[in-house]
Amino acid sequence: MAATAAEALRPTGIQFGRGIRRFGWTIAVYVLFGVLMVVTVIIKPDYGSFEWNTLTLAALPLAFAAAAQTMVVLSGGIDLSVGPLMALANVLALRAMVGHDLRYSLGVALIVLFEVTLAGALNGVIIVVTRVPDIVITLATSFIWAGLALLVLAKPTPGIPLDFQNLAQGSTLSPWLPDALLLLVVFPLVWIPLRRSRAGLAIYAVGSDRNAAFRSGVNLGLTRVVAYAVGGFFAACGGLALSMTTGVGSPLAGTYYTLSGVSAIVLGGVSLAGGRGGMLGPIAAAYILSLIPAILIYLGIDPNYGQMIQGVLIVIVVMVGGIGTMLRRP
Amino acid sequence: MTHREWPLSAGRWVAALMVGAFALIACGGSTGGGGTTTKYIVGVSNTLQGNGWREEMICSIKAQAKASGVVSKVVIANRNTDAAGQIADIRNLISSGANVIVINPSDRDALNSVIKQATDKGIVVVAVDQAVSEPSAYVVSNDQVAYGNLGATWLAKQLNGKGNIIEMRGINGVPADTDRHQGLTAALAAYPNIKVVKQTFTNWSLDPAAQQMKDIFSSGIQYDGIWTSGIDSTVVDQFQSSNKTFVPIVGADNNKFVQELATLNTKGLKGAAVTNPPPIGGAGLAVGLAVLQKTHSYDHVIHLTPQVWDNTTSDGVAKLASTYDSSLDPYYSVAFDVKPYTTYSKQDLISCAGPS
Repeated sequence: MAATAAEALRPTGIQFGRGIRRFGWTIAVYVLFGVLMVVTVIIKPDYGSFEWNTLTLAALPLAFAAAAQTMVVLSGGIDLSVGPLMALANVLALRAMVGHDLRYSLGVALIVLFEVTLAGALNGVIIVVTRVPDIVITLATSFIWAGLALLVLAKPTPGIPLDFQNLAQGSTLSPWLPDALLLLVVFPLVWIPLRRSRAGLAIYAVGSDRNAAFRSGVNLGLTRVVAYAVGGFFAACGGLALSMTTGVGSPLAGTYYTLSGVSAIVLGGVSLAGGRGGMLGPIAAAYILSLIPAILIYLGIDPNYGQMIQGVLIVIVVMVGGIGTMLRRP
Repeated sequence: MTHREWPLSAGRWVAALMVGAFALIACGGSTGGGGTTTKYIVGVSNTLQGNGWREEMICSIKAQAKASGVVSKVVIANRNTDAAGQIADIRNLISSGANVIVINPSDRDALNSVIKQATDKGIVVVAVDQAVSEPSAYVVSNDQVAYGNLGATWLAKQLNGKGNIIEMRGINGVPADTDRHQGLTAALAAYPNIKVVKQTFTNWSLDPAAQQMKDIFSSGIQYDGIWTSGIDSTVVDQFQSSNKTFVPIVGADNNKFVQELATLNTKGLKGAAVTNPPPIGGAGLAVGLAVLQKTHSYDHVIHLTPQVWDNTTSDGVAKLASTYDSSLDPYYSVAFDVKPYTTYSKQDLISCAGPS
């Protein structure tokens, strides 16, 4: 994929070529998204702001789920509890927000973000202290968070204040600039400072080579806990996004987001081995994965092919990415 | 230099592949459609795949669309997803120009704003099988509270008002499951000596139900009867494969369960099938089309009252035996239509073909 982009843009200098190679996958994912959008508009010439709103609403929770997973995977882990953490945030928000106004709800949202960030951090602490593999611990904690969500709220219940829902469902500035798109501003606000900080560098270091990182004086345990905590923060954002888009609190809300989050990061160029990738790719991937069902509906294709097409797309992209990486090695 | 040329050609390959794939998709989409008279587009939204009941429901919608003669296209959004995903699906169906949207809702309240958006555009929205709370939608469903109530009452009477029962529910939190549980709880309030000793969620899927039965057998829980939310023959099968003595089982009017009730009564299986016809989907479409064409006005909530078919009398067994339909899929319901709403034939349902 990197090569395709490079060819299309005709790099002139070494500096530029290096940039293409470094961000090749991300650029390719955005190109793929662009191509899919063009295809969508060709299929559906009257594609308008309503359809664009549909896409931004559907992609919002998935983008956050992908971000949560990205944080953990970059540090060399994997978090199977992203979905349940989203559900936990979702039900906590409902319990506290019912019958209150926007200001109160925003206060609740902040508290929920804090609580679920702590829950994420706890994932990390348990992993670091027990030295049991991430996949085992987060699988176990996924049941704990899911159980906790059921304890907080036994069944789906409506009552998220309308003003709070409108934070995602409205389009304040322009029909083509839906609020669900503007909410993505959370990503640069959290990611850019983190990426440039010592902690961000440490996360990449720990993810790519734990021994080397340790020998360079990186605090392994703390770094991993930070990665899980920021992951928890993004999962909480995802849960709140679900509150905004559905208006209900549901203890099973996150069910589909753990694995579709993994799909999104794989498609978005984050290496599951850790230490490689960024935040821009997974966001575009979330948009791609949300656009595919829409395209299938517009085309009237047998929906049973939907998941297959999604799977094939991921395999192709990852395969091409893998070939690219392999051939780049001297 | 050689190692730099490889990725370029690999990239070209991929580009070619992708263009090909898109062309294929685009061609697939451009064929079909195009009626001569004013015809309607029907949208369908379902969020549970791999479930016989739901498959039959979708087939009944297709069959009714074909039989009505006024539908040019049925657009189906069918995938395993949650309320947020269903909202996106319904919005996409609105974008597809649907005139009637038939939904099997995954949540009673979460879809309200998108349903309101649809009805504001003049689209008739019909929730089938389960209720939604949005008043502008039509709800055509089995009375799911009565479904829970009737089955539980039968079971309690069968146990002479005393004993332990297992409640095998559907999907936690979806409207039909909540309503059935409410009906069951209300029925059992009259029988203080009946205790629900175990509650499971089968997610209306066969495998979890089978696993749960195995767990129940090995856990040593004392049970005298089992109420299921429609994953019934799986439970019977587990009794048979584990060589356990049957206890009274309540299920739905699913083909295989009906057959088992009619044949295994000689081996001590007592049970009751509470009706819950999947062709409610086709009935919902018929209601939606009538409202759209203004040929008939309907109440916004239409409930079917379920019946109880048990195998404790010879008449009951004869009725069950005659109801079993070998031409239908074992995991389909025996009901292939919902009169007076649906107008298609059984063959239409089996062929599962919409208007071409």
